[in-house]
Amino acid sequence: MITICRPLRYYLPRAQRGDLQRKLSTSPGLARHPSPSAHRWSHPPSSTIISDNDVASLASKSLHALSLADLVKHGRPPLPAPALFSSANFTLSLLPIRLAHRIQALRNLPFIVVSNPNISKIYNNYLHSLSTLLPYNHKTISNLQDEIKFTEVLADLVETHAHTIPTLARGFLECRKYINPTEVTRFLDGHLRARIGTRLIAEQHIALHMSSQPHSPPNPVEEQIPDQSASYIGVIDTALEPASIINSCGNFVSEICELKYGVRPTWIIDGEPDTTFAYVPVHLEYIITELLKNAFRATVESGRGHEPIIITIAAEPESQRGMPTSSTIESASPSGRDPTNPPIRPLQTSTPGVTIRIRDRGGGISPDVLPNIWSYSFTTFSDEDDLPPGSGNMDALNALSGTAGGGSSIAGLGYGLPLGRAYAEYFGGGIAVQSLYGWGSDVYLRLKGLGRLDI
Amino acid sequence: MLRTCPQKAQWSLGLTRRAASCVGIRTSVGVPQVRRAHAPPPWRPAYSLDQWVAKEARPISLRQLMVFGRTLTESRLIGSANYVRTELPTRLAHRIRDMQTLPYVVVTNPHISQVYELYYKAFEGLRRLPEVKTLEDNERFCEKVGQSLQEHLTVIPKLAMGVLECRGLMGQADMDRFMNTILRSRISRRVIAEQHIALTETFHNPHHFPESPLREAEFVGEVLVKCNAKDVVTRCGQEVAALAQIAYGPSTLIPSINLSGHLHATFPYILSHIEYIIGELLRNSIQGIVERQKATPGPPTKPPPIEVTVCEAQQHVIIRVSDQGGGIPRDVLPHIWSFSKGPRSDSTLQNLNQVPKMAATLQELRVEGGKTTAPDPKSSTISKMDIATHNFRSSSPKSGVLMHDSSLASLSSRDPNLRLGMGLPLSRVYAEYWAGSLELHSLEGYGVDAFLQISKLGNKNEQLTMRASMDAV
Repeated sequence: MITICRPLRYYLPRAQRGDLQRKLSTSPGLARHPSPSAHRWSHPPSSTIISDNDVASLASKSLHALSLADLVKHGRPPLPAPALFSSANFTLSLLPIRLAHRIQALRNLPFIVVSNPNISKIYNNYLHSLSTLLPYNHKTISNLQDEIKFTEVLADLVETHAHTIPTLARGFLECRKYINPTEVTRFLDGHLRARIGTRLIAEQHIALHMSSQPHSPPNPVEEQIPDQSASYIGVIDTALEPASIINSCGNFVSEICELKYGVRPTWIIDGEPDTTFAYVPVHLEYIITELLKNAFRATVESGRGHEPIIITIAAEPESQRGMPTSSTIESASPSGRDPTNPPIRPLQTSTPGVTIRIRDRGGGISPDVLPNIWSYSFTTFSDEDDLPPGSGNMDALNALSGTAGGGSSIAGLGYGLPLGRAYAEYFGGGIAVQSLYGWGSDVYLRLKGLGRLDI
Repeated sequence: MLRTCPQKAQWSLGLTRRAASCVGIRTSVGVPQVRRAHAPPPWRPAYSLDQWVAKEARPISLRQLMVFGRTLTESRLIGSANYVRTELPTRLAHRIRDMQTLPYVVVTNPHISQVYELYYKAFEGLRRLPEVKTLEDNERFCEKVGQSLQEHLTVIPKLAMGVLECRGLMGQADMDRFMNTILRSRISRRVIAEQHIALTETFHNPHHFPESPLREAEFVGEVLVKCNAKDVVTRCGQEVAALAQIAYGPSTLIPSINLSGHLHATFPYILSHIEYIIGELLRNSIQGIVERQKATPGPPTKPPPIEVTVCEAQQHVIIRVSDQGGGIPRDVLPHIWSFSKGPRSDSTLQNLNQVPKMAATLQELRVEGGKTTAPDPKSSTISKMDIATHNFRSSSPKSGVLMHDSSLASLSSRDPNLRLGMGLPLSRVYAEYWAGSLELHSLEGYGVDAFLQISKLGNKNEQLTMRASMDAV
């Protein structure tokens, strides 16, 4: 048994001070032989400490299945203080459990994988984030000071994990000899999906906090860009225009294309460009950027840079049948009875969504490659490009994930499609790819509307 | 003309019964009546069937069909006859065993049990046929096989109705799997039987070839050696458009079809198969566009064209049919590939009742030479007939040979309003049979893209069973 102690620089949460024993409930085989307290467990080098007890007890709680109703149940901002507190407490009730589940999943990966500097960095990020939330674990947020501090913690969490994807990508790429692809896929599927939810919960509260600001003098809303924020509830835009997202992402990607290839592909939007629906704009931005990257790159590399990419936006017609009955509406919004802040009634089913088809003339996907397009770490680059020196791809991924500026490479680490699909599937949509090898590709992005938000 | 047909009594009887059963199903009270009206198939000793079930089917490829038929000799023809002679009862036996393993209540359904009886009768007849040794033997054999093909013309609508009526009695997935297997097997039997009959015909008409225009010489038996996607789309498009024009009236604007891509791509294929698939896809597109147009208020404007793209790669030809017909409604989408389920099941069942009649009509037309007037101009079977006879070899006096594709033709030439709910699933069965695929993507509120992929080299064996199906016991 390995008994190396971890560095002692860590910060001990008050509650855990003096309790350095680690119970081994995460590993059933070992739990049968409880180790003496002297035997400490080695974790990858960490600057944070957190008791295994805490992780285990949190991870043993089941995850709350997140729904849109949860995110909007506190009402449309600006929120009055009590609603803001209730949002904070709701967020607090979810995040530690979610983080603990991720920590446990990371711990179950093979040792050699978690020892990888990149993966262990992510592991430590999770430990750190959980440790920052634990002090609130048995508290109820009921005053503005606590709420502001809590929001700062959330902001720190969101920032800490901003680079998770490229770091994990690199880590798994480096470890690809030591772990089989199905295991990686299973882990990443779970992890990336969980991450979407976790970030959404945190960002939602931050956004509600920012747009509510009951603590500051009463003129905040007017100072923000009013016409844009009017349709927002936290991070959800209730009148999102896919066409404008497509245009902004298209400009962005074509700029990278011009940098890399000297060609600027064009695109045409047809169908119903004026359509709007309720969705999380950052999710749509991510997906569209990934899909356009693929389409633009294929178009340019096949020498058809002059052929425009045709993007068709189809709006589901208002459903004539299967409209949820009023009882569904009632059950979906149990809270929010405040007369000044009327209830939001998210309809869980049958709300109009959109389908976006991206049709390029980039020659399609060869039948050899086609089965792999949904696997992580897959890149259409050749083997020697697999581990490009240092930062090239990282920069590009960061740039394309919108977290940092200035990327030069357009081909990422092969996470674009699977992660894009994870985002699309998060709210019940999906991505389908149809290749006409020798001609081009059609990509279908289906998004369910997040519900009708009638106020 | 219909009245002179000796089968008429039989038909009307069958129709009345079917109509009754249809009513019965819709008002679930009537179900017992259906049961009483039709006795379940009799018990038969299983021994002879077991023997045949134990035999493996021997699949063939388009290329084998072609190469074999290209240099035709007497011994080859007789070899072909004996292949068909043993293969047909083997494949039938497998499907009979499939049906025997269905729940009892399903097989007692009048339609299913009729199919079961047809199959058993055919099996009993074919398994007893003596080995073919001479050309005269072969003549008799072809006659027997041709007769059997003819008797089985109504199997598809019968199966479809049976499956719909039994939709509550079995799991949807099991039912669809059964339907897929039995239809694929049916295609396979007809392919090898019709191929042999066509080869026999070719063999006996050696003067037929030199006189024929070049196009016709491109057939080896039933296989069109250089099937051109563009030609098929153009022809099916005209045909379906003409049918739609008649059905919807002259004031309706029928969408045009734009072709693009690799228009010179060719591949070996059985023409009636691809014509059926393309016909169904275009029919769906036109239907969607016309109905969408009707739903929009105001004067009719020129509808958006159907975009057909042909894409050729080393191994495949892919035909993409894109329309702006409004897409597939959410509630229908999950069921588009199912034979047995979907929100339109009831109307489908009613419509299916009309198909056997159409099959019979067409049958008579063909027997009488194909150029007679149709009894009802609205059904417009004539146009299909002309096209069919034109595109296939010129008609021959042998009725058995004339039967080739009529089961498909009756489906292809039906009124566009007659929704049978099986165009897509059956097209997929046809596509997958020669190792191709059919995919569909709906942009709800806008249109549908269908992708038909064809294995271009023709070297893939016929796909007799679905991967998941337990075949051959």
